[in-house]
Amino acid sequence: MTRIRAAAAVAAAAVLLLAGCSTGGGDAIASKAPTTVQGTVSFWHFFTGREAGVLKTAVTAFEKANPKVHVVIHDGQDDEKLQKAISAGQPIDLGLSYSTDIVGTFCSTGAFRDLKPYIARDRVDLGSLPAAVRSYTQYKGKRCVLPVLSDATALYMNTDLLQKAGISTPPKTLDELEADALKLTTYNPDGSIKTLGFNPLMGFQENTPQHFSAIIDGKFLDAKEDSVIGKSADWKALMQWQKGFVDRIGYAKLQRFTAGLGQEFAADTPFEKGRIAMVLDGEWRTAFIASDKADVQYATAPFPTASNHTDMYGATYITGNIAGIGKGATNPEAAWALLKYLALDTRTQVLLGNGLKNVPTLTSALNSSDLQVGDQYKTFVDAAKNPRTITSPASKNGAAYLNDFEESWDDYQTHGGDLDAILKKLDSTIDDANALSGP
Amino acid sequence: MTAVVTARPRVQPASGRGRRALVWIAEHAALVALAVLALAPVVFVVLTSLMTSQQALTASIIPKVWDWGNYVRVFRTVPLAQWFGNSALYAVLSTVFMLVSSVPAAYALATVRFRGAGLLFTAIVVAMLLPPQVTAVPVYVFWSQLHLTGTLWPLILPNLLGDAFSIFLMRQFFLTLPAEFADAARVDGCGEWGVLWRVVLPMARPGIAAAAIFLFFNSWNDYYGPLLYTSENSASWPIAYGLATFRGVHGTDWSITMAMTVIITIPVVVIFFFAQKAFVEGIALTGVKG
Amino acid sequence: MTVTVAAVRRPRRRSLEGRRRRTALVMLAPAIAGLVLFFGLPLVVSVLLSFTRFDLLSAPQFVGLLNYTYLFTQDPDVGTAALNTLWFVVILVPVRTVCAMLVAGLLARVRRGSGVWRTLLYLPALVPPVASVVAFVFLFNPGTGPVATVLQAFGIQSPLWFNDPALAKPSLVILGVWVTGDLMIVFLAAMLDVPRDLYEAAGLDGASGVQKVRFITLPTIAPVIGFAVVTGVIAALQYFTEAAVASGVASGKATVGQGTATGLGYPNQSLLTYTEYLYAHGFAEYQLGYASAMAVVLFVISAVLLGLTMRRISVFRMAS
Repeated sequence: MTRIRAAAAVAAAAVLLLAGCSTGGGDAIASKAPTTVQGTVSFWHFFTGREAGVLKTAVTAFEKANPKVHVVIHDGQDDEKLQKAISAGQPIDLGLSYSTDIVGTFCSTGAFRDLKPYIARDRVDLGSLPAAVRSYTQYKGKRCVLPVLSDATALYMNTDLLQKAGISTPPKTLDELEADALKLTTYNPDGSIKTLGFNPLMGFQENTPQHFSAIIDGKFLDAKEDSVIGKSADWKALMQWQKGFVDRIGYAKLQRFTAGLGQEFAADTPFEKGRIAMVLDGEWRTAFIASDKADVQYATAPFPTASNHTDMYGATYITGNIAGIGKGATNPEAAWALLKYLALDTRTQVLLGNGLKNVPTLTSALNSSDLQVGDQYKTFVDAAKNPRTITSPASKNGAAYLNDFEESWDDYQTHGGDLDAILKKLDSTIDDANALSGP
Repeated sequence: MTAVVTARPRVQPASGRGRRALVWIAEHAALVALAVLALAPVVFVVLTSLMTSQQALTASIIPKVWDWGNYVRVFRTVPLAQWFGNSALYAVLSTVFMLVSSVPAAYALATVRFRGAGLLFTAIVVAMLLPPQVTAVPVYVFWSQLHLTGTLWPLILPNLLGDAFSIFLMRQFFLTLPAEFADAARVDGCGEWGVLWRVVLPMARPGIAAAAIFLFFNSWNDYYGPLLYTSENSASWPIAYGLATFRGVHGTDWSITMAMTVIITIPVVVIFFFAQKAFVEGIALTGVKG
Repeated sequence: MTVTVAAVRRPRRRSLEGRRRRTALVMLAPAIAGLVLFFGLPLVVSVLLSFTRFDLLSAPQFVGLLNYTYLFTQDPDVGTAALNTLWFVVILVPVRTVCAMLVAGLLARVRRGSGVWRTLLYLPALVPPVASVVAFVFLFNPGTGPVATVLQAFGIQSPLWFNDPALAKPSLVILGVWVTGDLMIVFLAAMLDVPRDLYEAAGLDGASGVQKVRFITLPTIAPVIGFAVVTGVIAALQYFTEAAVASGVASGKATVGQGTATGLGYPNQSLLTYTEYLYAHGFAEYQLGYASAMAVVLFVISAVLLGLTMRRISVFRMAS
């Protein structure tokens, strides 16, 4: 008996120790910005390869402007790893993520520090950010990140293949997209797909619920963060259209074709190789095509919309890179200086915009004459400026609701079944998960 | 394969030489078929590792051009030398630490009787068999408070405090050793450490080698541990974890992926051929007869 | 028990015994510390944490049975994950065991060159699991893999294997059989230990081959089979690496823009195992309280299983 009690006491002490250790230090900051920033800044971001190189040039410029600062870059860190490192108390000064999905989690748990004190102290004017961007960088009034360029999606078309099929204008509605795609699809003698017009499989490359949301002006959550997906006739119609499209070609046939394709972020990606005529993709693809020296002739256009949402044509789903100061930051002042440099400096935003072909998140950079806007990239810049452009709401569960949605959609495209029941279950799944993670 | 059992002929005293020859042919045909099935994947993998990356994306089996460059390219594509070094560090240190902590423990458990030995032994068996996920959360929190996540140390250091499976395995082996030599040494005034060091160790080499090889391979092959502790720090990745993330990052470059698959396997095969006897005995010991 | 024995011994002898015991304790001290620090204590803390909401960034918050309620009544995927794991327990373990026994039986009959055959058939088991999974996903790639090419030569269209929700688990069973060499060695050693004269005597009595297997081989190696099945089941309960790597490689998703957890279970949750799901909750979504509740459930299941079987397996008992 005494042994059990002793063990319980030790265990309880251990828990308290954990708790005590992990509540960490306060966020108090110096009342005045330091005149010169110095020291080492650890900077975690997700970019790899060529894109990491572009970011490196911006960082080098920052180091030149602040000679006493040394930036240590950790690249290739996706959100899962970033969160793991911050949660485990690793000293990350500045973290850059590709998705706004984490804003809710990171702001509410304090994984990223609240930036308000810094913004107030340095009198930063956030009016220089476009409204949509300003909204996705905060959660319940807490601002823990600033935007560092954004991503929009549109339709990429292989113009050679379209011409050969006699298609001269981009599809504007889903029905046109499907008709064009079927026209563009060719088969091998054994019945397998040779060239695909458009790959409708949910989960293929950038085919996600959020990227599809602009098609129908789709909403995900209400103010209480409960799901409204299942209550929308539009989502249901979109899923039925997608499933019908898949079935017209054949699920197995599409899977077999997809399994033999090159990977999205490599030079053998199917669009650049002419294996798929049209894809939904982000503005970054223009930079990839240029750097891969792919000989694909292509054009971009806004993604088609549902026929009852033609007013959304030209708008897009926008999300973006965001950066914040880690909870365990050892050099927050220098991290803040770097963050300001990346997020609020027009020249840096133009440099990154030209290099990554992501869309700048600073109005002054969007309008800058130094921003190189070619025809193909212009589609995205225009879409980003479009007032109907939408985003997905931050939630305390991060991207969990989007993953749940994609999972349900995948389930439906694979097995079919009662869509009403699937959507109803999806709603309760999302709502239940909210209860688990608490207020 | 079911033919193996049913093909055994009824033993009839009159059965002739012909029947025995038929059985011999059947058995060896089955063996050859099994060997082909066992080796074919290896052959395909090696062949693909020598293709150009374009050809690896086509439905062909024999390389058109024998592209040995893949084995060089893979070192340039990812920090393979570093990952290789991490794996070696993980496997070697784990093994050494385990030996230091677990050989004496296994010896004590096998030869000395004391109160609570039964309970301790049961605890070791349970710790060995229970899924590590059961304790993963608190252990992870523990290492994160020591700021050692992001490194391989959370996987290496615990071996200093004994590895349950190794203790179990070596104890089983120690039990099979004749007690006379140890007793004679004790009569000569040897302490337990002396007995262990001078008498038992030389006799127990195969058992200890088996435990060491198992732990070495387990560390070398480990995926779950590095995923949990090092995924956010590619500088700490061992090669097995690097390989698992490889295709995600480098697309369908199957030829390079297969080259890396071959590279990660080579050390294991080499060690196996050098220590085959101890290894096979060790495996047999894991399934020991009661 | 030794105390009573020692009590009747002469004093000098007793002090010697005492010294032996003290030395043994020193020898065991690191292992005992390890058991407490990395096993006993975490087990207790897991149970405590399972009643909390904990994200590692702030202190654990007591939430009563919330995690358990969610686990048993609301979680949309935990049932799928548990069933997938159960599938591996029920299918993978017996298939591997039976195959290993058949091959071992064949090897036990072969005299000449048995060492070579044994090594050849054992080799696949040496391949590191991650490497073998990556290789198999490539070999079974329905578009361009060698298996598809070979099937094509016979005019058969390749199934989707790792890309088909219905075939992903069976594909992993094929892999499991391919690497079954370690089990094969275990059975082979046991079979070679069966005394020859038993077979000869049975042969004189006119027993058939099947009868010999049934009445001599199987009963003699039964403890080994029992051991193999129990450890196989325990291993299947924690089935993680093969499924996780297969999902990641087969989905071909970039890790850029995709954490490990989002790829788990591909295709269509068919490879989502219980331990993967635990990992996803614990270390991708940082719901560590909930992950602890899942761990406690896993512990209870494993403990019941061990409790039922451990006594029957002699090597798990102290005295032998």
